[in-house]
Amino acid sequence: MIDLKCGIEIHQRLAGKKLFCACDGESASGKPLFEIRRMQHAVLSELGESDKASEFESARRREFIYHVYDNDCPVELDEEPPHRLNGQALDTALEIALMLNSKPVDEIEVMRKAVVDGSNTGGFQRTAVIAVGGSISANGAKIGIQTIALEEESAGIVEEKAGTAVFRLDRLGIPLVEIATDPDITSPEQARTVAEAIGTLLRMTGKVARGIGTIRQDINISIEGGARVELKGAQDLALIGTIVQKEIERQKGLIELRPKIEAGKTQQLKIVDLTQHFKATEAKLAKRGLEEGASILGFRLAGYAGVLGHSLSDGRRFGTEVSDYAKRAGVGGLIHGDETFDKYGFSEYELAEVRKALGVHEGDSFVMVIAEEQKARKALELAFSRAIRPEVPEETRKVLPEGLSSFMRPLAGGGRMYPETDVSPIRLTSERLARIRSSLSQKPEEKKSALLGMLNEELANKMMRSRHLHFFEKLAKDGTDPVLIATTLEETLVSLRRSGVEVEKISEERLRELFNEYGKGRFVKAAIPDILTQASKDVNAKIAEIVKALDLSRISGAELKKLAAGEGNDLKRVMAKYRLRVDAKELSELIGTH
Amino acid sequence: MYSERLYSIFKKVGVAEGDTVRITKGTGQKGDGEAQEGILMPQPQGDPNCMVLKLKSGYNIGIAHTAETKIELLKKGAKSEKPSEGHAKHEKGALSMLSCGGTIASKVEQLTGAVYGTMNANEILSVVPELKELGPLNMRSLFTILSEDISPDHWKVMAREIEKEIKAGATGVVLPHGTDTMSYSAAALSFMVRPPVPVVLVGTQRSSDRGSSDNVVNLICAATAAKSDIAEVGVCMHASASDDICHFHRGARVRKMHTSRRDAFRSIDAKPLASITYKTRKVQPLDSNYTKRGSRPLVVDDKINPNVALIYAHPGIKPSLIAKLSDYDGVVFAGTGLGQVPTNVMNNKLVLSILPEVKALMASGIPVVMSPQTIYGRLNMHVYSGGRLLKEAGVIGDGCDWLPEVALVKLMWVLGHTKKMEEVKRMMLENLVGELTERSPLEMDYFE
Repeated sequence: MIDLKCGIEIHQRLAGKKLFCACDGESASGKPLFEIRRMQHAVLSELGESDKASEFESARRREFIYHVYDNDCPVELDEEPPHRLNGQALDTALEIALMLNSKPVDEIEVMRKAVVDGSNTGGFQRTAVIAVGGSISANGAKIGIQTIALEEESAGIVEEKAGTAVFRLDRLGIPLVEIATDPDITSPEQARTVAEAIGTLLRMTGKVARGIGTIRQDINISIEGGARVELKGAQDLALIGTIVQKEIERQKGLIELRPKIEAGKTQQLKIVDLTQHFKATEAKLAKRGLEEGASILGFRLAGYAGVLGHSLSDGRRFGTEVSDYAKRAGVGGLIHGDETFDKYGFSEYELAEVRKALGVHEGDSFVMVIAEEQKARKALELAFSRAIRPEVPEETRKVLPEGLSSFMRPLAGGGRMYPETDVSPIRLTSERLARIRSSLSQKPEEKKSALLGMLNEELANKMMRSRHLHFFEKLAKDGTDPVLIATTLEETLVSLRRSGVEVEKISEERLRELFNEYGKGRFVKAAIPDILTQASKDVNAKIAEIVKALDLSRISGAELKKLAAGEGNDLKRVMAKYRLRVDAKELSELIGTH
Repeated sequence: MYSERLYSIFKKVGVAEGDTVRITKGTGQKGDGEAQEGILMPQPQGDPNCMVLKLKSGYNIGIAHTAETKIELLKKGAKSEKPSEGHAKHEKGALSMLSCGGTIASKVEQLTGAVYGTMNANEILSVVPELKELGPLNMRSLFTILSEDISPDHWKVMAREIEKEIKAGATGVVLPHGTDTMSYSAAALSFMVRPPVPVVLVGTQRSSDRGSSDNVVNLICAATAAKSDIAEVGVCMHASASDDICHFHRGARVRKMHTSRRDAFRSIDAKPLASITYKTRKVQPLDSNYTKRGSRPLVVDDKINPNVALIYAHPGIKPSLIAKLSDYDGVVFAGTGLGQVPTNVMNNKLVLSILPEVKALMASGIPVVMSPQTIYGRLNMHVYSGGRLLKEAGVIGDGCDWLPEVALVKLMWVLGHTKKMEEVKRMMLENLVGELTERSPLEMDYFE
């Protein structure tokens, strides 16, 4: 059993307006209007020290392209100071804090967290701790809550090319609640259950945004002998256990490698221009690069044979780690001595020349980069700094789809925070907290037992996970049969969507009408799928109009009696013909009394 | 600031801002959020009875001080030392940079985050190391002042210091300046200094503490403009919301047209002198009518009479306000439309005319000048009877297309040279530095 220290951070977007301006959280058109180009540079950090993460990004000197949407204003473009903090978002964040038994701070101090990877147009993210302490129960274990923060969502990355990153600004500024747990989590499995428990609790408020990307998990892990690593952007809960497992493997692999690196850590970087040895190369990658004016540079790593090829987890080698650093300078990757060179197509002669030029002997290794000279130099400097570092570095890493991760930047310290002076501190009054406390959302267990009073176990479980939960509750309060609502929302709509009906076009208003009209006996249950299908096509038509247009009005009473008589009072015959307009129960009662 | 009560408690406990402390409320048990450790920060804007604590994570939180609150000193904070201004050697044939304060010369107070204006010339260089690529630089700080506090006396200092630099062989002069009043200073320096080399004012709309600050692009482009062939006084700032091109605007035709955008500075009814591309450092003249480097001798004439008022005409403006302007040596109106103020030519009983008061000012020897509050367009005081009455009364400005602020600065400068009404009128109506044109530009969209 290894000594694992693990905490998670849940980032949940809130529904409603953005945090520091009056823009909507979602773009109406979903299409960019225009783009702007920006650059970001090194900044003085608060405590006089430059933050490692900021410095690193700044060294990359990238250009950023921002796509501007209809739900952006000059605030998102960093062209206007922030407005006052969104009071509704703060109330929701405080509600979540209180549900987690976290203690709101007396005065909220909005901070700027320096972020110069371009994901914030201002070069920082606005963020504030709104509560400290608290706990969440997950599968019987109680995990402590460290802090709850309210912050701005960053811009979404569209594309990352060498030297340029493209971001979309529609999501920049959406309020985000960040819940950070204590490092109390002891197993990969527990990481997942804690994330689930927090996610469920967040949904109970009905005030969080739903859909892909609206909730993300960051995972902080350290193992004995390793280092603290922040893994960012896990969107799939099911992967969390795997992510933790893979990171443990990676750090163990690095720890194994440590003695070898320790032995070579004092060597000096000497970059050699190797371009001349490739003048007549037939290797595609090199040939194309040289045609485009690139240089081929490299350095020797003394005593490193086998080090870069050392496997960490799932085929990711130490060389990949080193390459990740080089890529941050905007190069596509690097070539190292532990690789099989067949795939590149270098000639034996060229490789021999390279080894000679770099002074590579038996037991040594080397690294090469093909890129524009300045970029290649920067890439090699970054790669070298990683290659000779024996200890597991503290890093922020990006989660990859299979649960592995790649290096993003050095772990940011507290040094990158300084006060957002454009937003005055917010004193939390006892009146405000009392108001929020008086109307707290039900906790998951309370909600579940309330649902079980109305629905069977299966439907109740479906409803707990449903985005329609709060809509369901409102409708059920109005007196509609809860089972009908639940089956319509969770089963009928789902099967219609699977058969290609665009159910997302059916508004809540229409659904409400549907249950109202049904309650008045205007149509029968069997007609519901047809009515909804039509409602998705003709979004302006009211349900009553659709029922009329589709000729689905319920036949009942005297009319049904007459109709049944015409069919010889044969229930099967009537239903075969009028299934969509006749209620079988009414019919059987009618026939029975005949 | 903290309350007196809190300061006295801090003193009693022996803690001060910058110290690492533990603040305990109630039981102080883990999990209930009652005990917090961190650095005691100054309280800049919030509740004076809330202690601001910087947690290890870097976050600040506010903790109200109550009867149960316990403060303990954990570690004394280190005293921060302010960097001293270095004295760089003066190099011949270099660009000169004379810092006049403003956001571009401001930095973030390490503890409070407050932006304050103390960055000296060397610190600007440390923020924008790329400046070194433009060759040798002589940097000095003239004053650290916020833009809104700039006065006509500061203009005189700037003019004389520019003179010194150019006489000492500067290839061009860059003046980092606050943006709020930068166009006033640019206009004033346009009248005071007729340079043989470029004189370029530059500012930032986003403070230097943020990675997105426009300071790098603006400073580099301004320095590039200052090395160019365009020997004019002007302002160099972002041309759009993007970080790619800056415009070098003629000092007498530029105006800040937005409270916060990077591209707030616009040439009004004129093309900018040039565009400067940040990446390539290419200077592309947009208006061929500029003074070429070295084609005239340096003339500095800083005589100025700051006792001039700029009055915005508006519905309901009171005659008594105009009467009170007799303390001034000159008055500029930002008039409505083609150059009007309420004169009540229709004899409407709801209207108070200020014509008698304007006439009285003129009669007492105080020149009154008209300018357009529409900002864009040319005055014509013959179209409406109100304008005609003002012109007949001797108001100066018919046919002029100057900006209100430029008319103000020009009148100050002219009154620094003469008090004779006829001479004032003659000098005012003469185009001196591009502040007046004879032909209005015609574009599809006049804002562009």
